[in-house]
Amino acid sequence: MNDQTQQLEAITQKEYKAGFYTDIESDSLPPGLNEDVVRQISKIKGEPEFMLEWRLKAYRHWLTMDTPEWAHVHYPEIDYQAVSYYSAPKKKTDGPKSLDEVDPELLRTYEKLGVPLDERARLAGVAVDAVFDSVSVSNTFKDKLAEQGILFMPISEAIHEHPELIKKYLGSVVPQKDNYYAALNSAVFTDGSFVYIPKGVRCPMELSTYFRINAANTGQFERTLIIADDDSYVSYLEGCTAPMRDENQLHAAVVELVAMDRAEIKYSTVQNWYPGDENGKGGIYNFVTKRAACRGVSSKVSWTQVETGSAITWKYPSVVLQGDNSIGEFYSVAVTNNMQQADTGTKMIHLGKNTSSTIISKGISAGRSSNAYRGLVRIGPNAENARNYTECDSLLMGDKCAAHTFPYIEVKNPTAQVEHEASTSKISEDQLFYCKQRGLDVEDAVSMIVNGFCKQVIRELPMEFAVEAQNLLGLSLEGSVG
Amino acid sequence: MKVLTDIHTDFAAVAASRDVMVEENSRWHTLRQQAKAQFERNGLPGRKEEDWKYTSLWQLGQEQFKHQVSQPGHADIYDLQLVEDAYRLVIVDGRVDFTASSIDNLPAGLTVSPLSQAIERASEFLNQQINIEKPGFNALNTMLMNEGIFIEVAANSQIDKPIELIVVNTGRTEHYAMHLRNVIVMNESSQATFIETYAGNDNANGLTEVITEINLAESAELFHYKLQREALDHYHIATIAAKQAANSKWHNSNISLGGKLARNDVHSQLLGEQSHVTLNGLYLVTGEQHVDNHTRIDHAVPNTTSDEMYKGVLDQQSHAVFNGKVIVHKDAQKTDANQSNRNLLLSRGCEIDTKPEMEIYADDVKCGHGSAVGQINEDQLFFLRARGLDEISARSLLTFAFAVDVIERISNQELKKSITAVIEKRLPKGGNHE
Repeated sequence: MNDQTQQLEAITQKEYKAGFYTDIESDSLPPGLNEDVVRQISKIKGEPEFMLEWRLKAYRHWLTMDTPEWAHVHYPEIDYQAVSYYSAPKKKTDGPKSLDEVDPELLRTYEKLGVPLDERARLAGVAVDAVFDSVSVSNTFKDKLAEQGILFMPISEAIHEHPELIKKYLGSVVPQKDNYYAALNSAVFTDGSFVYIPKGVRCPMELSTYFRINAANTGQFERTLIIADDDSYVSYLEGCTAPMRDENQLHAAVVELVAMDRAEIKYSTVQNWYPGDENGKGGIYNFVTKRAACRGVSSKVSWTQVETGSAITWKYPSVVLQGDNSIGEFYSVAVTNNMQQADTGTKMIHLGKNTSSTIISKGISAGRSSNAYRGLVRIGPNAENARNYTECDSLLMGDKCAAHTFPYIEVKNPTAQVEHEASTSKISEDQLFYCKQRGLDVEDAVSMIVNGFCKQVIRELPMEFAVEAQNLLGLSLEGSVG
Repeated sequence: MKVLTDIHTDFAAVAASRDVMVEENSRWHTLRQQAKAQFERNGLPGRKEEDWKYTSLWQLGQEQFKHQVSQPGHADIYDLQLVEDAYRLVIVDGRVDFTASSIDNLPAGLTVSPLSQAIERASEFLNQQINIEKPGFNALNTMLMNEGIFIEVAANSQIDKPIELIVVNTGRTEHYAMHLRNVIVMNESSQATFIETYAGNDNANGLTEVITEINLAESAELFHYKLQREALDHYHIATIAAKQAANSKWHNSNISLGGKLARNDVHSQLLGEQSHVTLNGLYLVTGEQHVDNHTRIDHAVPNTTSDEMYKGVLDQQSHAVFNGKVIVHKDAQKTDANQSNRNLLLSRGCEIDTKPEMEIYADDVKCGHGSAVGQINEDQLFFLRARGLDEISARSLLTFAFAVDVIERISNQELKKSITAVIEKRLPKGGNHE
């Protein structure tokens, strides 16, 4: 394809660019949810008894809970009985041992998405634990990581190989009963990633996972657990795209991070799931619980997210700052267009002394979308000298969209310093005029201004991701300013 | 609706005993019937209700409030009046104290009267600004209110002197509860100053529950000051709600010093273009006081402006809540809204919960808000100590400096002076960090 055609296509094709469907035979459970389904999932996974008990406990509690309604989002009631809770790509007898054994159709899917799974992965220095629907199909760089004692594997494997770590940490940050979606996830999660960084180890590469939701009607219930032991460091990337689908698909993931003494975890997300069409038809429901515990002294957790996809986003990556001198950070760009709805933000719970947190949230709304920042900063009575700085800015594009800010600040210690600032603006005629006068067309000008608005967040992303995120921003807002 | 189920006072019985004063088939009567039905359904809100998340009414619910006084009230109000010369209405223990009031020589264009004597005119304006379905005290007040002040300023009148309302709970009757309704009608291009003070003797342990409804017609302007300084065992629940027509201005200052529990809901609806509202607030709490300010500004049409500044000083085991909501409605372009909430924490054990909210449905707007929680700056303290001030005076001075922003915004000089004096007396003597 020559340059010109490519350009032409870029202009005309405003549809969701990652929207295609791979035809692989799926091994699915029929739709519906009951105790048997939970048992079935546990059995398919060949899990030890303690996991089944753990799941059932979550499931029984879930039955007693009500759907949360406080978020600033609207959607038809979800029929949890119409969802299929398990779908795995068809297994060969022993599972693939190398890339050659992986279903070529699957590899082509990743290629289309630009996932550097094989040699590109090596070149980019990225180890990919690719989750295709629910079962991990390939792990790269495992050996290299293993040399340093780093465990990076599907969580289902970790349940078999490291039950002691699972018993100790799974649910220790997000308990089964934490909230409606976390309880559901705890009962039916099928896969996800597990990372353990031993004491004193600095993970030599960025770990990354690509999630995709593929088979029709299959909810994706990921469970990720990352443990960084004393004096360790890890940077984890998570990127998402999903094929075009008309029915709403439910995604209720749980991510737990544990940082011990002086450990640091950097968790970056680029989320680009199918947002639904212009009229709000279809699209992913993204109800995610992400939480980190800074257990050790001087530990640090940093969440960075670029959220452009999903019909509805309900997501509050949080940090519980337990250890003295621990640090929590949250950098977020949330873009909503057309009929998308986002209610996202963070919680910073300060418990230890001299803890500090920073929140930078940039919301961009266009079309008829609604974008809300909802955050909590809580300073406990024993959190001496705690410090928080929060900045939430909204950019409105068009007079049909909405932007909201709901910051909760709760302070119970008189030595705390908490600051919150928020502003709302639009792209001014002057800015546009300036860019156009210098020869940029409107789309490029908008993209440039938006990227400038988000720069504080984008620069927190690892390099490869930052480029992708910038392109994504331009893409998501295509056609919203004319 | 999440309801507080445990209410010991039989408010419905009180309402029944008050029905006699209301003419059947009148508008007031209808409103009371609606409110009664509403209150029976919803009662008082529990803490699961978002607007009452940080303020529990449990203890208030446990009180056995009385609604009858043994003797007609009189109070010495000399210390309470904030300005020398004013058109003044004094309400003591729920009844108008005519000897202390001065509403006989009113200028042309001004009506000031007890609500009970202006029912016919006032009832046209009742429940225009408030919604009895809102979780809170609106329904309760509508079914129980029996006194208050009614003010009407005729079109194009500028009132020379402030209008002052002083409400006193003497504490002569234990757990005495007052339910008041103030109605202020500002006709076109009128201008007035309204000062309201809520006070009581130190032993008063009742409830003052009041709603002030304000109607601002085109180009009307109201300077409005509220000082709440009741006893430390008293409950104070207030709503101030205004609807503003085009080009009108409402300048509200809301100062809370007293009470075991003080709650203010301040609400402005900017319904006409070029209308403006200023909401200033100051709360100084200590001991085990609990103060809760909920403000809401609705920018409903294009070209309206709002400016809000609330500041709080918390000492000892006190608890303060601030919730500021700014809503820019669809098509309310060119809105300019500014909001800030700052809090100074002086001692261990105090708690602040603040939530500055914005809901924005229009794009060509300028909206910003900020909130901060902090303590006395050690460098500033050092500076003053180095110049010979003792620790207590230095802290006191810095606390005053923090609070003075709000007082500075009072335009009436005499009032500014007397409020400064009141605040100075209430300054925490140093505050204890450990």
